[in-house]
Amino acid sequence: MQEEEKFAGGTSALHGHGDFRIMISVKDLVKVFAGARGEVRALRGVSFDVAKGELFTLLGPSGCGKTTTLRCIAGLEQPVAGEIVIDDRAVFSARGGAFVPPEERHIGMVFQSYAIWPHMTVFQNVAYPLAGSASRAEIRERVGSILDRLSLGPLADRLAPNLSGGQQQRVALARALVAQPRVLLLDEPLSNLDAKLREQMRFELKSLQESFGITAVYVTHDQEEALALSDRIAVMHDGALLEVGRPAELYARPAHRITADFLGAANFVPARAAADAGAAAELLVESALGRFVARRSAEWTGGEAALLFFRPENIELMDDRPTGGNGGNCAAAAVERVTFLGAAADVILRCGAIALRARIHPAQAPAAGRQVKFRVAPESCIVFPG
Amino acid sequence: MSVTPSAIAKPEIRWRPFARRLSARSLIFALTIAVVSYLVLVPLFMLLYASVKSTEDKLPFETTAMTLGNYAAVLTSPATLPIFLDTLIFTAGSLAIGLPLAILLAWLVERTAMPARSWIGSLILVPMTVPSLLSAIAWIQLLDPRNGWINILLRAVLHFSEDSGPLDVYTLSGMCFVQGLRLVPSAYLMIAASFRAMDPSLEEQSAMAGRNAAQTTLRITLPILRPALLAALIYFVIVVIESFDIPGLLGFTARIRVLSTAIYWATHSEVGLPDYGLASALGAIILGVALLLMWGYHRLTAHQERFATITGKGYRPRQIDLGRWKMAATAFCAAYIFIAVLLPFLMLLWTSVQPFYAPPSADSLARVTFDGYVKIWSDGSVARALRNTMILALAASVATLVLAILVSWFVVRRGRSGAAAAKYLATVSFLPQCVPSIVIGLAFIFVYVRFPLPIYGTLWIIALAMTTRYLAYGSRAATAALVQVHGELEEASQMAGAPWLRTLRRVTVPLLAPAMINVFLWVAVHAMQELSMALMLYNPDTVVVSTMIWSMWQNGRTADAAVLGVVLIALSALLLLGGQWVAYLRRTDG
Repeated sequence: MQEEEKFAGGTSALHGHGDFRIMISVKDLVKVFAGARGEVRALRGVSFDVAKGELFTLLGPSGCGKTTTLRCIAGLEQPVAGEIVIDDRAVFSARGGAFVPPEERHIGMVFQSYAIWPHMTVFQNVAYPLAGSASRAEIRERVGSILDRLSLGPLADRLAPNLSGGQQQRVALARALVAQPRVLLLDEPLSNLDAKLREQMRFELKSLQESFGITAVYVTHDQEEALALSDRIAVMHDGALLEVGRPAELYARPAHRITADFLGAANFVPARAAADAGAAAELLVESALGRFVARRSAEWTGGEAALLFFRPENIELMDDRPTGGNGGNCAAAAVERVTFLGAAADVILRCGAIALRARIHPAQAPAAGRQVKFRVAPESCIVFPG
Repeated sequence: MSVTPSAIAKPEIRWRPFARRLSARSLIFALTIAVVSYLVLVPLFMLLYASVKSTEDKLPFETTAMTLGNYAAVLTSPATLPIFLDTLIFTAGSLAIGLPLAILLAWLVERTAMPARSWIGSLILVPMTVPSLLSAIAWIQLLDPRNGWINILLRAVLHFSEDSGPLDVYTLSGMCFVQGLRLVPSAYLMIAASFRAMDPSLEEQSAMAGRNAAQTTLRITLPILRPALLAALIYFVIVVIESFDIPGLLGFTARIRVLSTAIYWATHSEVGLPDYGLASALGAIILGVALLLMWGYHRLTAHQERFATITGKGYRPRQIDLGRWKMAATAFCAAYIFIAVLLPFLMLLWTSVQPFYAPPSADSLARVTFDGYVKIWSDGSVARALRNTMILALAASVATLVLAILVSWFVVRRGRSGAAAAKYLATVSFLPQCVPSIVIGLAFIFVYVRFPLPIYGTLWIIALAMTTRYLAYGSRAATAALVQVHGELEEASQMAGAPWLRTLRRVTVPLLAPAMINVFLWVAVHAMQELSMALMLYNPDTVVVSTMIWSMWQNGRTADAAVLGVVLIALSALLLLGGQWVAYLRRTDG
């Protein structure tokens, strides 16, 4: 059961579709490309496991290796070292010299460009994976049912180029799911859609994945998408896996500075830690904002140079109450700019050389130029190596 | 479960070959490389080998002595110096006539507001359906010093007293004229494309600075197009050096030889025995020159991005208003079209409805008859030649198409493991571009007279030679088309469980179809009209239409040659029109 606890836990990951097991296991993947100037190490020993029924996201900026990892799982790229096991079957093993070509892995994949075949109709596109493996009637039935499920029924006879972006995306999805694969790979499927459609499709995707009970590996650079969709997120950077965790955990308690910076707006304040911090969970650091108490990150190894981190929404503006010295972590700043965003106000606070971003409810937003005091709860502050 | 980047050990990267099952794909890859190498390299090797063998009338295998004597003979013999000189003059003369014409026409049609320019643009291309052989025949009938119709007219108009002249097509200048005109359609295509792609803002700047159209053209347009024009120049130098039909037909009577025809006459001389040593030395020399020029052409076009002028969507180049020169320009183009397009064809048509060649006159008008066509229809040998031509065209087109698709796939979609092999394939398949048809024909004689495939003396040797020759064009066209097909379309097919061959069949090939139809038609039309390879490799059993026309002409059966020529032109036009119709149908589909 420890294994299971490591994972998302609770019912969200399992969706009530059978007991827990690991569907995809990736170990020590190494991939090297020949670049313009010598070798490029695209993947440097990436390892992770994906549970059955989970929606597992690989998140990171361009060039971090997330798409390469996905394509290695798909079999479209061949790593130089490592091992990939899907559904208890080793589809790649450097040591054993095993490599199962993509057409034999029985995985569904949605490409960023959708890759809908322009010379075939919607029906033909979706029926393609079933060619040769079922009777005509059965194909028609299965394709018809998945087209209906994705609201593509009336478009069955339309030629691919005559579809809108959202429709093409659903066709790509239908095609990936029609052969009932155990695993679904998605390579930035929503990035080519406009914002409104993207939000809509996000929920459709998730509900589809849950109702089919399919294990999905999702690649994106959009952190909002990752937070909204995933059961667990793997943050990648420069060819390596930084950390894996549930969205809420990663967001509130990132183990790495890069994760903290990538997953949402962040404030970083240079600070100095006391040399004899000891093994306590909390640290006292000196910063330009004053003395702050913060939790230590998993990355923290001691030393003096530190980076104090907290999120804009955790900055609480204090009224001019008499300073009771409650809870610590207080500081004063001047309001530099207030930007109204509708649901919130983005406030830039300046404290000497440091500019902080705060997210305040519009009703409480201060006027620009005023001096304010604010505090940040110690639980919301984290110290990273500086 | 966090991992710090620094904690990841840097693994030892060693390349380990994976034991992959022998897949259909790797098998076909190896086969493609083998076939293309065989088709292209073996004949070339044989040619070079033959050129260093001391032969006079024997084939290379029948003697064992190696010698550079053939080259020495070629370079020192007083008989060969005129050949080189005449080749030079012929090339320079044809280009001097053809290229400026093409540039002027392209400019008029693409960059000016000349009236009727779209019509003119299409009509300029019409001569492409006429084989060079027939152009030569037509011009002989127009400009033969004694009986050429234009000469007869000129003599009447200018009151000449002699019965010969004033114009003589059997001279170097005559040959240059005919060949120069022949170059115009292809040169026009190339140059018009460059004109069309030019960024008009470059010229507009010049206009804003106060220059008029002529100054702009001279100082801005032409210099920007210089690399493209230079590349076209080099390309057509190769084309002229390699050309056989026109110098072959005209040069025979004029007793003028150029490199390409010298090879033919060395192996098919009227007196004496074939001199294969001499022929192969000449062939090697042409090959060397063509390779050098092609290298220069690639150097030029590779750096053309510096002058890239294609801009974004919807750009309409500025049309220069010609003002009072408008009508003159149109008249000029009309005159060109009449002289270069209509006149030769009408002449051929005329001769085909005459029992024997005679210039148009009251008498000959009375003799107009369609007997020639009736005779052809019932002539068994003509029927056989037509059938052979069709088989040849079909075989060459299909073979070229299949090879072109395979070559382009392995070159464009090369994986990391096949990169070097793919590069080799690309180079070897483009090599035949520089090998003159006549040289390929010669090389094939050497290879197949002894070698494994029992095809010597059959149609298939000609088909193989043509496939070799047209592979370069086919691969290039297929590559250009395949690059447009997104790799993910094929990857999606893989992910959907399709093995490689099914992906090719259901995704790649259908998407390549429009380009492939063009390749098929291009090869078919060229194969039908091709003369030099067929001449080198045919025998009485494998006569094709082009060789038949050649023999008819040599034997003085002028009218018959004209009839067959008109039939050939009609067939080519039919094929091309059919292609347009199919393209039209596809466009209006779905």
